[in-house]
Amino acid sequence: MAAAIEVSEVSKTFRIPHEQRTFFKEYFLHPFRRPSYERNEALKAVTFSVESGEFFGVIGPNGSGKSTLLRILAGIYVPDSGRVRVRGLLSPFIELGVGFNPELSARDNIRMNGTLAGLTKRELEAKFDDILGFSELERFVDQKLKNYSSGMLVRLAYSIAIQIPFDVLLLDEVLAVGDEAFQEKCFATFDSFKEEGKTVVFVSHALDLMERFCDRCLLLQSGMVQALGSPHEVADLYRERVLVG
Amino acid sequence: MTGIAYYLRVLRVVGAIDFKAKYTDAALGYVWSLVKPLAYFAVLWLVFAHLLLTANQTDDFTVFLLIGILLFLFFIDAVSAMLPSIVDGGATLRRLAFPPIMIPLSASVAIGITFCVNVSAFAVFAAIQRVEPRIEWLLVVPLLAELYLFTVGLGLLLSALYVRFRDVGQVWELAAQLLFFASAIFYPIGILPDWAQKVAFLNPFVQVMQDIRHVVLGGASGPNDLTAGDVFAGAGGRLIPISIVVLVFVAALVFFRREGRYFAERL
Repeated sequence: MAAAIEVSEVSKTFRIPHEQRTFFKEYFLHPFRRPSYERNEALKAVTFSVESGEFFGVIGPNGSGKSTLLRILAGIYVPDSGRVRVRGLLSPFIELGVGFNPELSARDNIRMNGTLAGLTKRELEAKFDDILGFSELERFVDQKLKNYSSGMLVRLAYSIAIQIPFDVLLLDEVLAVGDEAFQEKCFATFDSFKEEGKTVVFVSHALDLMERFCDRCLLLQSGMVQALGSPHEVADLYRERVLVG
Repeated sequence: MTGIAYYLRVLRVVGAIDFKAKYTDAALGYVWSLVKPLAYFAVLWLVFAHLLLTANQTDDFTVFLLIGILLFLFFIDAVSAMLPSIVDGGATLRRLAFPPIMIPLSASVAIGITFCVNVSAFAVFAAIQRVEPRIEWLLVVPLLAELYLFTVGLGLLLSALYVRFRDVGQVWELAAQLLFFASAIFYPIGILPDWAQKVAFLNPFVQVMQDIRHVVLGGASGPNDLTAGDVFAGAGGRLIPISIVVLVFVAALVFFRREGRYFAERL
């Protein structure tokens, strides 16, 4: 079967300036001083591939490069070097959301996100009730999102992410703030993705979920691939290396 | 997600949402989009037509002034809405992959809708005044297109620069205020010395405004009816502000494309 995602030798470095230069003043006052940077090598020559229809887990401690990797897969960040190839339509769910505007109602946010993600007006109309239905937020559809709790936001964001037609779904910590009922609902969708042969990249700190759902797991540490294999092996290694220390 | 249909759909949906959002929490809602130009008009008309009597130099000071105000508010409001749009839209840019140019473009569409509402009101006003429509009025369409191109070019440039330098917001705010006084909106441009006229006409906004006044008023505004062709002497002179529009627009697209790849990580 063809690979849904191919990542070869991908590196990404962020330059974190010690002093922010977002005002002209800093340039005028110190025209010759080159700002000093700290280099944060978020990803170092990361290589792996995900088979089509695979449920692929990514684990690693905070700051290990998981979110950067997902953003590169989603095309939000440009890698410094290396190559990324994603086959098919991709739907991202990153940092607890899909990019909401808190000043807009849920209705307008659904329309805005759906349209930006490529849905036509007709597709959006057809999906609108499903999105709202899955999130169980019908009563709050015309409320501004700034009045939503973080749990409600995640419900809405996840509902949008899974209703956008996709072949590859990127899920970053989707279960972190939802309640138990929502988690059960998510698990049910995970099962159906597997049945439908969708490819899912799943980032989480919950090792038991990794072992329950994933076909394979990747352990990321300090921007490098430490292990890639069966979820049990990788989870054990993670417990050994990172959690125990 | 790159086809023209996608672009138009996003502009229509997101532009309309932006427009609506501007007025949702206001009791008077859309009425505010009309109040702003009318308030400007009332004050300027009172001061210049009645107190200072500069209006005596033109026959149609009312229409002359209204055209200036409507165009100026569109130009300034659109650039001011586009400028912070990338920074404000950071949450979306960091979570979804889409062409970042859609954010400032949608902001310009929202202001464009306000402009259309205002122009409709202006049309009603003109009808009441029994202004006879003339075939030359069609020239207003390409002139507005030129203004839109210039506005979008400037807005894209500033919105991308704003990601790197927050000073741009202050600079633009000051520039907008100065332009209001420097752009012959409420006084005839003919009263400026020659050199100042030349400087003023380097701004494509002034060229478009003067051309639209000329077309709508049919040269009835007398000594104030100056266009770029008069000031820069010769038909070639008309090309100066138009080349500036093209230059700004192309430079903006190139710069925005280059910077846009990295917006998500800089925000």
